[in-house]
Amino acid sequence: MKETNIVNETGDAVISLEGVAFGYDPEHPILHNITLSVPRGQWVSIVGPNGCGKSTLVKLLNALLPKSAGEIVVCGQPLEEETIGSIRGSIGMVFQNPDNQFVGATVEEDILFGLEGLCLSYDEMDERLKLYTEKLGISHLLSKHPGELSGGQKQRVAIASILAMKPGIVIFDEASSMLDEGSRNELLVILQGMRDEGYTILMITHDADEILASDRVLALHGGSLAADLTPEELFRDQELLARCHLREPYPWQLARELQRLGIRTDVPASEKELIDTLWPYNYSK
Amino acid sequence: MNERLLLGRSIETGSWVHKLDARSKITGMLLYLAIILLSHSWAAMGLLAVFSVAVMLSTRIPLKYFIKSAKPLRFLMLFIFIVQMLSVKEGEAWLTLGSFSLYEGGLRLGAFSVIRMLFLVTFTSLLTFTTTPGKLNQGLEGILSPFKKLGLKPDRLTMMIGLALRFIPTILDESQIILKAQASRGADLKELPLKEKGRMLVSLLVPVITSAFRRAQDLVYSMEARGFRMDAPRTRYHRLRWGTADTLFVVMFIIMGVAVAVL
Repeated sequence: MKETNIVNETGDAVISLEGVAFGYDPEHPILHNITLSVPRGQWVSIVGPNGCGKSTLVKLLNALLPKSAGEIVVCGQPLEEETIGSIRGSIGMVFQNPDNQFVGATVEEDILFGLEGLCLSYDEMDERLKLYTEKLGISHLLSKHPGELSGGQKQRVAIASILAMKPGIVIFDEASSMLDEGSRNELLVILQGMRDEGYTILMITHDADEILASDRVLALHGGSLAADLTPEELFRDQELLARCHLREPYPWQLARELQRLGIRTDVPASEKELIDTLWPYNYSK
Repeated sequence: MNERLLLGRSIETGSWVHKLDARSKITGMLLYLAIILLSHSWAAMGLLAVFSVAVMLSTRIPLKYFIKSAKPLRFLMLFIFIVQMLSVKEGEAWLTLGSFSLYEGGLRLGAFSVIRMLFLVTFTSLLTFTTTPGKLNQGLEGILSPFKKLGLKPDRLTMMIGLALRFIPTILDESQIILKAQASRGADLKELPLKEKGRMLVSLLVPVITSAFRRAQDLVYSMEARGFRMDAPRTRYHRLRWGTADTLFVVMFIIMGVAVAVL
């Protein structure tokens, strides 16, 4: 097991788990002995092969599933029956299938569903409805039925309905896996904006670009934490990549091929950096 | 507009009916049911037709949408007409073939039943066409609120209705996908004999039901993650407001009921 703990000190941790386990059958736990902490404002990618317990882990954080053992503390509150309501108010979740998380019959009703549950005044609800629909570019879709929206638009509605509740932490459970390339890029831009605004983001993903954009990676394997490292460290570890069924980002793959052909290129952080590195070769020929 | 999307969908035109309180529209529809049952003459039917079409036109929603809502029931209407025509033996015999006769009373009752059903389905679509599902639920909750004293929980009932309406198009879409997937593997429902169709329906229902359970589980997660708790207090963005127009709307149906009963 690899442990490259980047953040294990709980100084400003908004989420901390200590020896957490979960299983429907005590003989066969799905998650065992998970210990980690996430500081405020960090963007964490959670990776691992299918069935390794990623979704189970994030569902434990707001008690959608009950832990079997260990301790979970969210925003300074230990997760117990009495604190579930308050903790759910501070954690928002965006799920994989945007169709199944649409509670309202229209975009407006769906966003209001969470706000009405917070018992907000009309003015407060109206202000948040306008603010977050404009922010996510869906203010023209308020009267639309989910069947009339594209996958990307549905996922924007799901994000707006979560952000309007003003949680400090947002969890994305493979939220981009059912989106096309364009919608994925849009989601990435939204996530980058959220990070700039100070949200703590936990994102279950298999997408190399999303992982590369994050601050930290938690790799799960067989129900336990296999590694806690930076995205760059993950993409340099070919064995871990293979175990997590992940591929390097495209610029990394290209740089590796160029190195094989004898062209000296450092592993770039982005496509732009790769282009900047390769550009001088144009003139040297 | 996609026909499947018409199920439980409102069509916004900003007409006076759209602006009414959902409770007055629900009350109006209940009164309309009573009016239909009170109509026993051609004159009453004629008056009802003029009234219904006038109200439908005033919503500024094209009449074709109302007619479309009755289309799925066309075979049921035909069945009712035939049964009434053959079973009622009143009045003059219009057609006699050996020992079998068709009577004027049977034809009249058959026609009345079909017209009543047509009015019922097309006119009550006005409620869902002019009211968003959220407002409709709120109106229903308001009307049922006196029954809270009897232990009924209107909010739970309306939540169930709302979610059912929300998911009907999604589940219909999914069944279409499953049908196409089965057709692509050589089991085309359209081309099978009736007996095989029955067997095939089972293989359609199993995945549709399994998927509906999975969707329900995801939906519960989504609702709980947004802090939803059954019976917990909630505020409302859209508030019900009963105005003069609502009173006039209900009075209009009462007057219509009296007129139809007199005719």
